[in-house]
Amino acid sequence: MLTEMQRDALAEVFNIGAGRAASSISEIVGDEVKLSVPAIEVKKSTEISPEILALNDGKFGTVRQDFSGPFDAAAMLLFSEENALEIVRDMMGSQMSLDELAEFEQEAMCELGNIILNACLSAMADMLSISLNSSLPCYTISSCDEILYAITGNATQDYILVLNIALTSAKRQSQGHLMLLLSSASLTHLIRHVDRFLSGI
Amino acid sequence: MTADNTVKKLLIVDDSKVSRMLVRAQIVAVHPEWIISDASTGEEAIALVEKDPPDYCIMDINMPGILGTDAAEKILEKYPLIRIVIFSANIQETYQSRANALGGAFVAKPVSEKSIALALNHFKCPN
Repeated sequence: MLTEMQRDALAEVFNIGAGRAASSISEIVGDEVKLSVPAIEVKKSTEISPEILALNDGKFGTVRQDFSGPFDAAAMLLFSEENALEIVRDMMGSQMSLDELAEFEQEAMCELGNIILNACLSAMADMLSISLNSSLPCYTISSCDEILYAITGNATQDYILVLNIALTSAKRQSQGHLMLLLSSASLTHLIRHVDRFLSGI
Repeated sequence: MTADNTVKKLLIVDDSKVSRMLVRAQIVAVHPEWIISDASTGEEAIALVEKDPPDYCIMDINMPGILGTDAAEKILEKYPLIRIVIFSANIQETYQSRANALGGAFVAKPVSEKSIALALNHFKCPN
């Protein structure tokens, strides 16, 4: 579905986005954030499995944001539930009790998701010379099955662009995963924009 | 700025082929006479430098294998006169400081006329 060059171009776009995001997060949590090399795969919704998403059995803090423009995309950021709370603790200060942290979890994770997802999508929009609008971020705690259902249960998302970038906090070893969901029509539009960008080099 | 038409050798190191193409296109637009080679990992870059040391090097950080900053450190240990620009999307202070500590310069991605001008500026400034 994607040529090597298209995959390379998208990986580089997201690498720039994740780099910007890592810088912001590093300031927020006061720690160095390591980035993995982005991995990109296009999969049919029906082929999506926990292995492909690199998910284990636990619960996940999931921030979702929808983007619209020349193509529509749903972007998701996943952290294991424990990691999510640790990140909130780093953001809000370690003197807070767990109860107090839980109170701020929703807001803090939405803000974190907003920074990361917007950084990635903005980098993509800038590089492809397009404009994307974003919805407000929404945070839920979901099991692996619930995440799979949210992805595969939506008939309009025939294909899923699985972008996997691990953002690891050096101090905590907290890891986040980034995913982008596109319908077939949107994926075709995205590829057209990537080709236009490549032909301009 | 006076025109400098001396032929220089530049090594571009980035795991993204697209990124290498973008850098090359921007450099060629300013210095069509330069001899440009490229590598997709830090290890490959070190091997290329051993065979034919360049005058200048543009090095990404986040690549499979060793980090670009580690590759730059190894290269500069043996070839301290090579001018290296660490060119990365990872704009955290830690990485910028590391680039400066190595004696290189840090330039933030994306590849653009402006970012490449900053890299060229570092190449041209005297030691």
